[in-house]
Amino acid sequence: MWVALSYACWGISIVLALWMLYDWFKVDTNYSEDVLTSSREGELEAASEKHRI
Amino acid sequence: MPRYTPPEQSKAGQVFDIAVVVVAIFVALWLPLKMGLAGAAKSIDALDAKTWEALGQNPTMASIWEKLGYTPETAHDIIQNRFHYIIDWPTLIIMAAVLIGYFVFLFRASDREYRDVIKEKFDDK
Amino acid sequence: MTVALENTTTTIHGDRVSLLRVLGPAHVWALGVGIVLVGEFTGWNFSADKGGALAALIVCWIVGLLYTSVAMIDSEVTSTVAAAGGQYAQAKHIVGPLMAFNVALFLVFAYTMLEVSDAILLGDTIVAKAGVEGLTHNSFIAATIVVLAWLNYRGVLMTLNVNFVITAIAYVSIVILFFSVSPWTQGAVLKLNELVTPGNALPYGWIGVIAAFQFGIWYYLGIEGTTQAAEEVRSPARSLPYGTMAGMITLLIAAAMTWYVCASLMPWEYLGITYYPLWDAGKLTGSPLLENLLFVATLLAALASANGCINDAARAWFSLGRDRYLPSWFSAVHPKYRTPYRSILFLLPIALAFAFIADLNQAITFSILSGVLQYTFMSINIMMFRKKWPLGSIRRGYTHPFHPLPAIVLFCLCVVTFFAIFLGFGSQLIAMTIFYFLISVWFHFYRYKFVRRGDQFTMPWPKPQGY
Repeated sequence: MWVALSYACWGISIVLALWMLYDWFKVDTNYSEDVLTSSREGELEAASEKHRI
Repeated sequence: MPRYTPPEQSKAGQVFDIAVVVVAIFVALWLPLKMGLAGAAKSIDALDAKTWEALGQNPTMASIWEKLGYTPETAHDIIQNRFHYIIDWPTLIIMAAVLIGYFVFLFRASDREYRDVIKEKFDDK
Repeated sequence: MTVALENTTTTIHGDRVSLLRVLGPAHVWALGVGIVLVGEFTGWNFSADKGGALAALIVCWIVGLLYTSVAMIDSEVTSTVAAAGGQYAQAKHIVGPLMAFNVALFLVFAYTMLEVSDAILLGDTIVAKAGVEGLTHNSFIAATIVVLAWLNYRGVLMTLNVNFVITAIAYVSIVILFFSVSPWTQGAVLKLNELVTPGNALPYGWIGVIAAFQFGIWYYLGIEGTTQAAEEVRSPARSLPYGTMAGMITLLIAAAMTWYVCASLMPWEYLGITYYPLWDAGKLTGSPLLENLLFVATLLAALASANGCINDAARAWFSLGRDRYLPSWFSAVHPKYRTPYRSILFLLPIALAFAFIADLNQAITFSILSGVLQYTFMSINIMMFRKKWPLGSIRRGYTHPFHPLPAIVLFCLCVVTFFAIFLGFGSQLIAMTIFYFLISVWFHFYRYKFVRRGDQFTMPWPKPQGY
């Protein structure tokens, strides 16, 4: 059972790692670099005002 | 003072900078290990008589060791494995000098950079 | 609930993406205590190895004092400088860019190495439990690091909700263990007076107590990580001090209970070398239920800690990119999940590499070294903060009492801890400091030219006094 669990762990790791790589690729090709890196330190206060939760 | 405009860094330059940091991290963490510098002086003060009494264990302690699956023979190397704290003055002085030198450099260089930041932020408006 | 919240806020406003402000005080507590609590399950007990059972208790209190100072100082500064990167942003506004760069590296090192330690602990615990020949810890380490990175990638709210639940379970298991060994009567299960005798309480004398400081740090290391959440907390000025202080109180209680139960159940020589003091304590009570509970709790504590560490290390790395201290490529925020996804992905293989090649003791030591360097900075930082912006000159979310006493206490205890590290890992400390020095030279004379000067100062404060 433990050995099977060990293989399952490898499997999960590989699947999730591949998914993250895929998502990373998708995001980087669909959005411009300017949008992705648009976060600024002090401007967060203003940005958070727009979407109240 | 005119506003400072940083140069644009090329893609290759960015990748190179990341590589420098990563290599530095690995070297800093691995060199001491590779050179066998890590770890304190711990050595076994061997005893001839391997009984719980000789190892300084009272009956309560002995019963717990046995519950954990140890015999006086197997516990011997754990119990007698002791630290030997020796203050090595040259190393201590080097360490203190390195630490103090590092922090002094850090605060002085930071202050020089900080003055520019404050000047640009508050004086150029 | 969490899913609904995430869905309502995934739209991008204009052409800007930023981290999400969704966390409350409970998340701050979960982040802080989650990172630290694993220290009760392994690590603190090595201080017994260094100086005996009584030394472990003495450092539990004295280091508790050190961290109370850390929590107080941190709460004041961070309730005022509320930005991702925590102490990094503090250093940038108070001391200067080079200091900030170093502090961010301390943070990334301390948390990544702590994450590595957690993953190794989790893998080793499962292997020890399984007792199957040929089973190695590698698959469990990989799964821990990758699954948690994935969780972090997908959003901070879910990450810290999970952390809250697993931290709470691990904490409750310590409380259950404590009350099920009838702590009010000695002799039945607990045998403190027979295990800690005048003859063996301090086997190395007082130098052993000082040496024990090194691992005493492990009782609380990481509580200062709460500040990394500053940009994602709904009201940082209130939640951060509240969550940090509540976390510190929780940990002081857990540390005292853990010492009392463990020292009453195991001889110090064994306590000092085991990797699973609480799990062993569960075994020694003779109850299979407690044994299994503490086994699961050890795993959960390791998971919670690694999870919080990924969160914090990524925030610190992200902030470095945002100010161009490192290539700005790292400052990308995921447009849908609103996490610093590139930083999370970048740190993942580094953590994996170290988890596969380092052993637990080494990883713990790297983490402690960076932590203590950072606390030394914090004691000086608060002095400068009060001098440059005296009370009343800016709005503070929280003002810590008895200034400058906590800062002085913190500084003195850091000096003692450096001496303790010297007794065990002096050469490593020198090597690491030289590394930080060289990389500082690189930053000061080369990398800093890519940084915009005035833009780094983002707080709406008046000009500091003396400039």
